[in-house]
Amino acid sequence: MSVLEAKNITKIFPGVKALEDVSVSFHKGEIHCIMGENGAGKSTLIKCLTGVYEAENGEIFINDKSALKDRSLFKRIAYVPQEISLFQKMTVAENLFIPYDKAGIKGRINQKKLEEQARPILDKFNIHVEPGKLADEISVSSQQLLQIARAAAFADYDVLILDEPTTCLTQKDTENLFDIIRKIKKEGKAIIFISHKLDEVFELGDCITVFCNGRKVSTAELKDVDVPWVVEQMTGKQLDYQETFCSEKVSEEMILDVKHLTGAMFHDVSFSLKKGEILGFSGLVGAGRSELMQAIFGYLPIYSGEIVCQGKVWKTGDTHYSVTNGMFYLPEERRSQGILPDMSVKENISINTLDTVSSWCGISKRKETAKAEEIIKAYNVKTSNLNKEIKFLSGGNQQKVIIGRSTCTEPKILIFDEPTKGIDIGAKTEVYRLMKKLAENGIAIILISSEMDEIKKCANRIICMYHGEVTGESDYGSEKEEILKAILGIKTSSEEGKTDEQRA
Amino acid sequence: MSREHENKQNTSVADILKKLSRNSVALIGSVLILMMIIATIFSPHFLTIFNLQSLMRDIAFIGMVAVAQSLLLLIGELDLSVGKIATLSGVLGGILMTSMKVNPFLAFAIGLLSGILFGVINGLLVTKLRLNSMVTTIGMQSLYGGITLVITKGKAVTNIPDAIFFLGKGNIGVFPIPFIFAIVVLIVIVYFVTKTKTGRYIYAIGNSREASKIMGIRVDAVRVLIYGIVGFISALAGMLYVARLGSAQAAIGNNWPMNSIASSVIGGVSLTGGVGSPVGAIIGSAIICVISNVIVLFGVNVYWQEAVSGFVVVIAIALPSLLTIIRECSVAKAKA
Repeated sequence: MSVLEAKNITKIFPGVKALEDVSVSFHKGEIHCIMGENGAGKSTLIKCLTGVYEAENGEIFINDKSALKDRSLFKRIAYVPQEISLFQKMTVAENLFIPYDKAGIKGRINQKKLEEQARPILDKFNIHVEPGKLADEISVSSQQLLQIARAAAFADYDVLILDEPTTCLTQKDTENLFDIIRKIKKEGKAIIFISHKLDEVFELGDCITVFCNGRKVSTAELKDVDVPWVVEQMTGKQLDYQETFCSEKVSEEMILDVKHLTGAMFHDVSFSLKKGEILGFSGLVGAGRSELMQAIFGYLPIYSGEIVCQGKVWKTGDTHYSVTNGMFYLPEERRSQGILPDMSVKENISINTLDTVSSWCGISKRKETAKAEEIIKAYNVKTSNLNKEIKFLSGGNQQKVIIGRSTCTEPKILIFDEPTKGIDIGAKTEVYRLMKKLAENGIAIILISSEMDEIKKCANRIICMYHGEVTGESDYGSEKEEILKAILGIKTSSEEGKTDEQRA
Repeated sequence: MSREHENKQNTSVADILKKLSRNSVALIGSVLILMMIIATIFSPHFLTIFNLQSLMRDIAFIGMVAVAQSLLLLIGELDLSVGKIATLSGVLGGILMTSMKVNPFLAFAIGLLSGILFGVINGLLVTKLRLNSMVTTIGMQSLYGGITLVITKGKAVTNIPDAIFFLGKGNIGVFPIPFIFAIVVLIVIVYFVTKTKTGRYIYAIGNSREASKIMGIRVDAVRVLIYGIVGFISALAGMLYVARLGSAQAAIGNNWPMNSIASSVIGGVSLTGGVGSPVGAIIGSAIICVISNVIVLFGVNVYWQEAVSGFVVVIAIALPSLLTIIRECSVAKAKA
């Protein structure tokens, strides 16, 4: 008997089908792993299962009762999010018991008593910290375990969902966490375990469901399958169309040389970039790719190392210098870092080229409008009105505005950070074509992407990063498996000794 | 038939409300005109040259400072030391004119320069030490005010030369000279924010400081510049006030920080930055001044004046969001 079952779930966001006809069921005493690339639909499924999103189509049954009719059933699902979401300035005990009524504490709160009550729970979850400490004073792995304890200690739940719980855990903490998960499994709970790490899935899981492009690809008992099978399922069936977007006019001229760069989230990174090339950076979320690029661009500090651009040492830590010297960064966080939300489409386009649209008496409305119209046409931005505030445009159109704005000052280097995040397939293809065109016009492009398919189609070369270090470099047309291994940090035999050393 | 007609009327009312709640300058402008009409109807003293001139003189000072304050609000910051900058600059200028016998116009100019200096100090503290503007300027207003007290020992600086009196007391035609200064400041600042690159960057920074930095805008330099401009305009208001009173004293500009912020907000400038116009700020200050003027003309009990004026200011601040609420209700009704 299944304790949680999703039947024919379809979830549509404007322009994207995030989930299409997904059916999957979860059973008591079973650890069910879910895998898939970024954007495959895992998070959307979880949000449907926990009642955060309401699906356009389909049914969810909890203990064989329809949860869409009786939403209180969603209380039977405990969820531990990927990001740490504790009250950082409250104590461990307080974090554990909030909201107090859930934990059965009524009336006045006695801090001492609270801490005494917290001890056995902390012991059970192998969290070795004083319950009176503040949450931000304990280690990241303890915080992660505390989150799980908070979700799993009191709530009368049937299903525990863990969303990439090991992302920031060390090897030892991960093993500790696994022991706890196995304990919970023995109590007869169903566990949904989402992870990017294949070795963990095989160590812990009972069965696996693989997602790809919003569809469920397959479900299998883990004892019946092996690593190559999973990799094939994750990547194999995506090549619906064969158009590729990598630049065909790569020059031999080096434009950027990055030498032994070290910063907060990356360590000793070196690479070089050619004119007319699309250089892909692949890796998991948190591998340090964005931080590396933001540091090169001057937005984040660099601790050591050097950047050389066409024989000249690049000034670091100054975004104004970067922009005026032809380097642009197109951020992943489009809403907070890319657009000026309350300003019009026109103003968002002209902000980088105000000199060219000015006359003797200042910014000329006529010239500004003409420039904006030119960009909108060239980049096929769909907007009803130039004076519309940009926050009302779709993600894809916002992205095209940002690309248009960056390219109207003759840049030399463009850094795209997840340029197609949250935009639909059609607009994605448009963005790819734009990148290819720009590269073939002699611009060097760096493309950070967590989507394997995207990076394979667009990049002339791919650099893989894991935990802030470069773990591999491959050319266009390399095997997916090779890239996947590098970004998942799976050791090849020659590197084994080295990686172990770093872990320790 | 009649129902159709009603519907049509409903939507057109909703449309007008919608337009008004979107365009805050037009909204607040019409409120100002409405208030003045009401005042004219109910008090024979309102629409007299004498009253209007004193009203304009009041608007000039608060309006000037409000225009400056609106620049800071546009980048999502504020300066609570505007009043004390005005006082200190006024006292410095005043002492130069009197005890030091410097040419009064030169002393006037030096006073203005000192204002720029005080503003830039605020700006450097906020940007370089990454401090919160509100808390920093609360501290700085104490500091500037304290220095004023040390310099003056609490006494007014008197014997200001007659030569500069006309700047504070004089008129050109019917317009008081400080009011003309305020209008010039307004025009220059409006040109600055709408027509220049740096002006556009102010809005960009107010929209998103991170995005602005990523676009290569020198965010901190623009911020320091704005603090400098605010210091300059505050000092200008302070020096003109000295010329108006004929003496420089520590009490000048005590209510300017709060009034300038309230004026800007009434005028539709967002407290979080990025939205609004200096024109709104000056209209907002006109509303505040008309309120206190009308309260006196209507003969409201002296002890009630402050409470009534506060109440009306809160209503004025709430107006745009009230209109939005009414609009949403009427739209919902029309749909039902």
